[in-house]
Amino acid sequence: MASPKSDLPQGTLDLLILKTVALGPVHGYAIAQRLQQISRDVVQVPGGSLYPALHRLETRKLLSAEWRQTASGRDAKFYRLTRSGRARLEAETANWKRLSETVGLILGMAEGGAQ
Amino acid sequence: MNWRRWLRREEKEANLARELSFHIEERVADMVRSGVSEEDARRRVRLEFGAAEQVKDECRDVRPARWVETFVQDTRYAWRNLRRNTGFAAVAVATLALGIGGLTAMFSAFDTILIRPLPYSDPDRLVMVWDDLSKTDDRTKSFPAPAEWYEWRRLNTVFTDIASTQPTEATLSGDAAPEQVPARKVTGNLWSVLGVKPLIGRVFNDEEDRNGVRVAMISYGLWQRRYGGSPDVLGRKIDVNDTPYEVIGVMPREFYFLPARDIDLWMPASFPAEMRRNFGWHDEEVVARLKAGVTREQAERSMAALSLQVTAKDYPRPHRTIMTSLREDLTGKTQTALVILLAASAALLLIACVNLANLLMSRGLARGRELAVRVALGAGGGRLAAQFLTESLVLSGLGALAGLALALPAMRFLASLVPETMGPVRLTLDWRVLAFSAAAAIAAALAFGVAPALQGSRTAPLDGLREGGRGAAGTRRYWFQHSLIVIETALAVALLTSGGLLLETFRHLRNTDLGVRREKLLTFETPLFRYKENDRRDAFVSAVLEKIRAIPGVINAGATSRLPLKANETAATFYWISGQPRERISGQVAIIRIVTRDYLPAIGARLREGRFFEASDRHSDAQVAIVNETFANTNFPGRSAIGAQFKFGRTGPKGYWYRIVGVVKEIHEVAMEEATRPVVYSLHEQGSDQLMIPPGGIAVRTAVEPASIVSAVRQAIWSIDKNQPIWRVETFDDIFARQLTTPTQSTALMGAFALLALLLASVGLYGVLSYAVTQRTSEIGVRMALGATSREILLTFGKRGLVLTVAGLAIGLALSTVASRFLNALLFGFRPDLVPIITVVSLILLGVAALASLAPARRASRVDPVMALRSE
Repeated sequence: MASPKSDLPQGTLDLLILKTVALGPVHGYAIAQRLQQISRDVVQVPGGSLYPALHRLETRKLLSAEWRQTASGRDAKFYRLTRSGRARLEAETANWKRLSETVGLILGMAEGGAQ
Repeated sequence: MNWRRWLRREEKEANLARELSFHIEERVADMVRSGVSEEDARRRVRLEFGAAEQVKDECRDVRPARWVETFVQDTRYAWRNLRRNTGFAAVAVATLALGIGGLTAMFSAFDTILIRPLPYSDPDRLVMVWDDLSKTDDRTKSFPAPAEWYEWRRLNTVFTDIASTQPTEATLSGDAAPEQVPARKVTGNLWSVLGVKPLIGRVFNDEEDRNGVRVAMISYGLWQRRYGGSPDVLGRKIDVNDTPYEVIGVMPREFYFLPARDIDLWMPASFPAEMRRNFGWHDEEVVARLKAGVTREQAERSMAALSLQVTAKDYPRPHRTIMTSLREDLTGKTQTALVILLAASAALLLIACVNLANLLMSRGLARGRELAVRVALGAGGGRLAAQFLTESLVLSGLGALAGLALALPAMRFLASLVPETMGPVRLTLDWRVLAFSAAAAIAAALAFGVAPALQGSRTAPLDGLREGGRGAAGTRRYWFQHSLIVIETALAVALLTSGGLLLETFRHLRNTDLGVRREKLLTFETPLFRYKENDRRDAFVSAVLEKIRAIPGVINAGATSRLPLKANETAATFYWISGQPRERISGQVAIIRIVTRDYLPAIGARLREGRFFEASDRHSDAQVAIVNETFANTNFPGRSAIGAQFKFGRTGPKGYWYRIVGVVKEIHEVAMEEATRPVVYSLHEQGSDQLMIPPGGIAVRTAVEPASIVSAVRQAIWSIDKNQPIWRVETFDDIFARQLTTPTQSTALMGAFALLALLLASVGLYGVLSYAVTQRTSEIGVRMALGATSREILLTFGKRGLVLTVAGLAIGLALSTVASRFLNALLFGFRPDLVPIITVVSLILLGVAALASLAPARRASRVDPVMALRSE
């Protein structure tokens, strides 16, 4: 089914998308571009991961979507964060921070220090 | 499908396509801006983005209720597919309809008779208590006496309460045309023992029963029929056998309890005081409710001991009791028949499934290209398997619908399997049966759909697209299909053998020498409890028989204490032959029939030696008896029984000596399936009242159609005593036919299942061979071009059919020997010879298999090599 094909840990893609969308209504292509730019090309999201993820978040009502014109006058589907999406983003962000701190702590442990 | 939802779906699809193409176009535009050629940019985006169709599919997958959508889509696809192959679809649906319909009908009978709770509160706590007069291990059920019921009720420690009932018959008159209805006299506590309530009114109680209050409960049927369903019936006085009874309640429609036929009237038993001390009059059916925490085994032990104690001084022979569960008593031998037939119908459905699995796999191979294309377009294995399973479900759903259409008439046929004792119970197509049918359909779809689905899901795009698909892979592909053919052949053989066994048994039963001439023999019963003294009774019976003999068209008439084949109940006593040591008595039991002088000649009994009763056998004379062959052979092996003296009933010094004057050929006194037992025929006028079994069964030999003299017989009896009840009027042919109901039904059903199984198995064999021929046409062409003759090709395919059949036959015969062990219960003690049945079954199967293989094999042998090779 729709498993992320990037090397991102499971569930991370959803978090990144939520964060990107939190900055303002944005269409799928822009999300992909932004992720790639901000991560300095580390994160490359193929369409086969991005769009199922977007649709999944929309289905779960974390994102809402509407069709609008882009600056260049083309029709595109713009996603925006819903209220529960924002709540989830905050919760997930806090979660992620705690986790990464913990992981960092363990990885940073001096060799032999545990004894 | 809902139109608007469908529109929404179209819209969703369009939006999805727009969204993705926007992404791709933007990306391409970006690349072109950075100096890449458009053509190059498109190629790179495709690689980077992934296959658009696959992305779309993954997006669809996250939609809510996606599986419903997929299922609907698959179903429509499956439906289109089947519409394109009407021939295949028709065969598949018909096969499934037979399988599911048969199983559904059998289940409805099984459920109604064996599973559904009986209409009493907590029916599993109800037991029947019987006397066991045999004193041997064969546990013969006999009716208890009212006195025993009375004592048991007083002294038992294992029942909350215990009720007694006896069949009777009632003439309703006065308010409308006189009507004879089956009735039952019951003790006042029956209603509380069963835990049943009337539909309207109330039930009578112990006190009314004890005081002989004339009140009656009527059945729903009688209420509707005779009293128009009006509640006014309560409180109405109706004439029952010329005595006014007050109707106090109407029982619900679904109520039944131990009817001989459907009972219409229940009256208090109101035993007269002397009955409470009389241990000789055995006509009760006793039902009891186990106390909480008391098991049936405990109760049975406790009651057996109590019975010995109760009968120790009052009865010629102390005896124990037997306890049966109420269900067991109501369903009797139907139970085994139902289990076996249900298994047989399940086997038939299994064969149908195996057949379909085969057909689908052949089709799956034939659809290799279609599948390969779908795989190439990105369909995953799971997706293909789901598609295949959906097709199976659609087929099996259609099969179930058609099966229900078949099940309905089949259920009408099965209705006669409902034991008479279950009264108004009917087979209905209710939600339980529908649910079962749906479950069967789903199980069937899985059974025949999984293998083809797995096979289909493993399609590799290249294999399928390559033309022809010939080569070494072929044989391995057929391996599974061949095993399926062997399995279904084996099942068909087992069913055929079982059918053969039942048919042989049925023929045996049909041709059993009953010792009675069946044709033109009218029988009826006329309870003689109102004639208590032997002389009065004898005078009455003689007068009745005299009157009946005077009716034009009557050849002869006689009376017996119990008509042959009427019941499993047996009036049996111990006997002791002169010269034997006393201790032999306890092991010697004979069935006793008290008959009038003309009875044996009237029913067409045949003598082996000696004579029938004669006018000279007066009551003042020395007592005489006639015994059956079993009695003679058991006690006088190799010598004549004539002249021997023996005692029965009272075997002490006060008992009479009976002299054997004749030996008759076996008369089937008990049910057909029971082994023959020693029988003593004793003359009623010789004072046999020591046994208290009056000759209330009358047999009339006629020259004319028996039905035509029924009213004359009634008139003859009523001219002597207008209150004398007459009932169970039927010809001996009817009694015989009823004995054969279960064997007739089981044989017919098993036969039908077996023939269908044979048909399906041969269709399966034909299908697989034909398919093989089609697939290997070019190979055959090459072989023929290289010099193989038509005959060789014919043999190749013929041999394959033969090998499969023989393998199936071998396994099937092994299966049959196992099955025949389970069938024993339906074989009525008869052991048909398996060898001729197996021979016939094998010949039939080989013949049918030869026909089924011949057509494809001939087609193979007629392949034109030029055409075959060109078709590459």
